[in-house]
Amino acid sequence: MLKAVLLIFLILLGGLGAGKAEAQSLNARRLGMGGVLTSDVGDHAGSNIAFRAVPKGTGGSGSIPLPLGLIQYIGDHPTYDSKDSTFNVYEIANVFLNPPLTIQLVKPEEVSGDISIFVAQDSLRVDLADVRRVIPEHSMKQGGVVHVGGIGKSFGRAFLNVGPLVHLRNELILSDELRNALRDAVPFTSNTRYGLTDDGRAQAAIAFQAGYALRLLHQASEGEKDSNDPRRNGVTALYVGAAPKYLLGLAYGDAHSTGGVTTGDTLFASGNPVTIDEETVTRHAVAGGDGGVGTGFGSDVGAVLYFHNFELGLGLNDFGSQIKWKTTVRRHLYDDATNQFTTVQVAQDEEFTSRIPVTTTINVAKRIGRTTIAADIVDGDLRTTMHAGAEMWFGMFALRSGVYRDQNQMMQFAGGGGYRFGKIGLDLAIATNSRNIERERGAELSASLSLY
Amino acid sequence: MRRLILIALFLPLLAGCGNRNLILTVDILSFMDPASKVVNYSIPVPVPNDTVEVFSDSLNLLQGVGDVTRAVAASMDIAASFDNTSGAATGNLLIYIASADSSNPFTTTPFADVPFQLFAGQVTNVSTHVEASAALAEVLTHDRAKVGVRVVFNGTSFPIQGTETLTQLQATVIMKKDL
Repeated sequence: MLKAVLLIFLILLGGLGAGKAEAQSLNARRLGMGGVLTSDVGDHAGSNIAFRAVPKGTGGSGSIPLPLGLIQYIGDHPTYDSKDSTFNVYEIANVFLNPPLTIQLVKPEEVSGDISIFVAQDSLRVDLADVRRVIPEHSMKQGGVVHVGGIGKSFGRAFLNVGPLVHLRNELILSDELRNALRDAVPFTSNTRYGLTDDGRAQAAIAFQAGYALRLLHQASEGEKDSNDPRRNGVTALYVGAAPKYLLGLAYGDAHSTGGVTTGDTLFASGNPVTIDEETVTRHAVAGGDGGVGTGFGSDVGAVLYFHNFELGLGLNDFGSQIKWKTTVRRHLYDDATNQFTTVQVAQDEEFTSRIPVTTTINVAKRIGRTTIAADIVDGDLRTTMHAGAEMWFGMFALRSGVYRDQNQMMQFAGGGGYRFGKIGLDLAIATNSRNIERERGAELSASLSLY
Repeated sequence: MRRLILIALFLPLLAGCGNRNLILTVDILSFMDPASKVVNYSIPVPVPNDTVEVFSDSLNLLQGVGDVTRAVAASMDIAASFDNTSGAATGNLLIYIASADSSNPFTTTPFADVPFQLFAGQVTNVSTHVEASAALAEVLTHDRAKVGVRVVFNGTSFPIQGTETLTQLQATVIMKKDL
């Protein structure tokens, strides 16, 4: 039993930093510009549906990642054998947080070191030493909305798309007392509750989407004679797009848990020195099971304005997206007196509407000759990130640099270059990040091919 | 199990740290009845030696920890104070630790042997640090262990009277994960 508890604890620990990690970018061109997004750099249509209507420019139309990091990983990877003396679960967690697709140039120092515990009848002090680095100062959030693949077909300005959608979210909050005991080795005291609260939610659906993007406003410019690229021809144009979607909910589950250990008058007295409390309320529905499928609607909308080679975009993904379910609600309560859990079904087929959080992307860019200067703000369910970067072309060579503020509120830096061979370009980028369980700065080298 | 829940919460953190150690220090003295820490001795007539048993009991030490950890080393810090009001003697403070199924800890070899010398009207403080075997470390991580404290007096001036107080009995066990 104890082993099982410990393993669950390990899994939880491994996930501490998951949500704190910004998604790894395998587009070296975008990464070299600090991860910034424009209508021709990075995610060409996913974050702003209006980009679909913008003519393809000289800035590129896609990228193919080169996962060079796999070579590094094959030569040097952590052991997964818990019996091995070098086994380190934090190192493994970092592999998941930071998949080995890019070459790691600088890695945060691994969490290691001895743990010291001092026990007396009325005293307990735990010094986690290096492990303190993995315990954040605030709540531990993880998750996000993921649109996984899918298939689509364009018909001129219109398009159809079918694809899965997954929304995950978990937030773990330690009480001040527990956090202080873990992070700062503050001694445990008598008659004190050391508690935590966890809110988790997961839902999956298939989105059937039909969209349309078009140029709504247009004011001609001299530059249009040479190029139809509104990013560089000086035209004034407004492109908009909208794509309503029908959501077929496959599964929904959430759990709100509170638990804690309250010490007695004496920490290690005989009898029951601690009181344990734990309560979890769950709600779920699943296709083919309790509640069946859910149904709902949502939309992606966007607009992008060009004015004298200046670009201003606004994209709202999953705008107003909701799914209605018939849910089963259960309450699980731990009884300290009997040392047993009891489960009570509170409701069955209770109507419940879940929300898919909207992701808002605002981007600006200015093209001056062959130079692009850009910035964006991406606001999602758990995090708001900002990116800024520039790209300068010299013949077939490009130089790039950028900065971004990641979800750990850390400034990160990037730079890189590229060479264009006709319709294909090779890009390299070096960028820092804090995609690791220690939330410390590391650096990576990314490579990809750009399609022009 | 409930007794050591607070400690058990931190063992997973150790498990993740590769070839690292959990250093567990237990103030055994704090778990003892205060009356057991103090014994008044009185040896009125000359005898070759006399033995005073200070303490012998079964204690919950590191219950539950042994489930997921493996003790690899241990040490103990022991200290005592003799407030000797009359007489003089040399002697030894003996510490015994045995597994819970042992009928009497005093039948085992002393774990620690602390020599002392007492003079009339003087307070004598003694202390020692003892490295224990891995086998004894394992004993310390079992659910229960039997602990005994004995004082042997070799008198040179009688009557020998005073008070012996255990002031430190602290075990440090170095453990590795065993998941």
